[in-house]
Amino acid sequence: MAHGLDPVETGQGGASVSDAPADRVLAAVNRVIVILSSIALVLAACVLTYSVVVRYFLKYSTDWQDEMSVFLIVGAVFMSAAAIQAQRGHIGIEAIVGLLPKRVNHVRILLVDAASLAFCGYFAWKSITLLHEAIVDDYHSSSTWAPPLWIPYSLMTAGMILLSVQLLLQIVAGLRAPDPAA
Amino acid sequence: MTTLSIGLLYGAATLLVMFAGMPIAFALGAVATLFMIAFMPNGSVDTITQNVYEEMASITLLSIPLFILKGSAIGRSRAGQDLYGALHAWMHKIPGGLGIANVFACALFAAMAGSSPATCSAIGSAGIPQMRKHGYSGGFAAGIIAAGGTLGILLPPSITMILYAVAAEQSLGRLFLAAIGPSLLLVTLFAGYAMWKFRREYHAAKLQYERSGQESELLRIDTMTTRDRFALLPRVLPFVILLTGVMIALYGGFATPSETAGLGAVLALILIAVIYHVWTPGELAPILVSTLKESTMLMFIIGMSLLYSYVMSYLHISQSTAEWIVSLHLSRWILLITILLMVVVLGFFLPPVSIILMTAPIILPPLRVAQFDLIWFGVIMTIVMEMGLIHPPVGLNLFVIKNIAPDIPLRDVIWGVMPFVGLMIVAVVILCVFPEIATWFPDVIMGK
Repeated sequence: MAHGLDPVETGQGGASVSDAPADRVLAAVNRVIVILSSIALVLAACVLTYSVVVRYFLKYSTDWQDEMSVFLIVGAVFMSAAAIQAQRGHIGIEAIVGLLPKRVNHVRILLVDAASLAFCGYFAWKSITLLHEAIVDDYHSSSTWAPPLWIPYSLMTAGMILLSVQLLLQIVAGLRAPDPAA
Repeated sequence: MTTLSIGLLYGAATLLVMFAGMPIAFALGAVATLFMIAFMPNGSVDTITQNVYEEMASITLLSIPLFILKGSAIGRSRAGQDLYGALHAWMHKIPGGLGIANVFACALFAAMAGSSPATCSAIGSAGIPQMRKHGYSGGFAAGIIAAGGTLGILLPPSITMILYAVAAEQSLGRLFLAAIGPSLLLVTLFAGYAMWKFRREYHAAKLQYERSGQESELLRIDTMTTRDRFALLPRVLPFVILLTGVMIALYGGFATPSETAGLGAVLALILIAVIYHVWTPGELAPILVSTLKESTMLMFIIGMSLLYSYVMSYLHISQSTAEWIVSLHLSRWILLITILLMVVVLGFFLPPVSIILMTAPIILPPLRVAQFDLIWFGVIMTIVMEMGLIHPPVGLNLFVIKNIAPDIPLRDVIWGVMPFVGLMIVAVVILCVFPEIATWFPDVIMGK
């Protein structure tokens, strides 16, 4: 766990960068999402602070602050998943990496990315069906505030689709990359 | 297929994908999904996204990104250096006072930031050069910071504790309080060792001076005026007030843990804006981006670990394994040692979050049968996982140290850290003999 530190600060990790147009478009989208997600995190902190303040100084309780914070944070987490993947920020066990020849390691990364894409793509598809259900059947949360659930589900769906696209682009970049053993 | 075969297959598939280097979150999610498709009733897999969302949408879990935001805000300001400087000014007359000041600075900073590597980075970047300037050996200086930093996952608000509270269905407030006594025990052990080791290095330097006339920096005595001592206090006090204020908000019943996290994050951002003038978007961006990176990575692992545990439980793998462990009728201490060794080995490969969420359904029932206090065990397990932060092969804090003091050979860092690993083992033994060190404080504050 990096605990608020960049990979560069812990001396680990590394990002994959490509100049293909699709990569540049996704990188731009990710940049905007990271800004919006950062704002969402701060907003969530403000919402929770607000609830403490009004409860103790103005003596009335709010019933929406917990769920609002959940939506903001879950949204920020799912939406920024692709940006984190772009920098290979989802950590894995890299114990065998140093033991493999470069060419084998290149194939390993491609296979791992393909397996990750298969899972994330499947999850994205299931998110779409859940979102569709939530809209058609008008799902609401069971709290007294009862906000519609299409809001967080749509953020989860969009985030997982973006993550899948990011993985796909990384696989394509990996296939196009020159033979590392050459 | 029997539960045993499915369980073995589940474990083997997990090991395979994880050691292939697949990101932990995706690996856990993929294995869980495959087993849902293969072994659970048709339609189960349709609820996979709802499962993950509902597990992640817990307000307690979602306090984690906010605690990370608070830690990141404090970690990236000059608060660490100022805190360290103030403690040094006040303790420089004690033998080994510089080393002890570093241990205390790590503990206080860890309590404010809640992160081990951030503590290492913030205190170490000022503390290691100072200690070396004063003649401390590189390994000793690195060991103090790496070990002091581990307190970040033990002292409240610890992310590891939040997850343990969720996984073991224990009171988070009680867990936070239970960690305070053992943290003080570790601080005392670390500071005691720093003093002892300083005296050894000091005597060696003195002997060398007497023999060869070569004067070491260790023999130099700092002089600081009362004005020096008070000059740094105004910068440090607000952060200490933040620390105590957040604790009062939590334990005084003013705020829930998640509200405390939100309040702490907002106050930390206000403090760094007022004291260090960090408020422009350009200055705040690295704080927010690093928070987002770590939160997303962690929350994905948490969400998928919970899905993984759900499948393990649905297929009766966790229950059968727990029943099997109980049926071995191991003595309670052998059971505890076996479980802790397993945690150590898992710590070679996995971050604490995954270890807790993946193993809790298996290890907690036998511990409950053996009548161990699960709050006490949460503290013990966290200290054991702390060791994973400073011993190879992973030892994240070692990498942080290597990065802030690249000229200290990794070998020296590792050897410098090893005595602290030994002290942590001693702390675990002491806590086994005197569990009240952990359980007394929560009992007093919150009742039995």
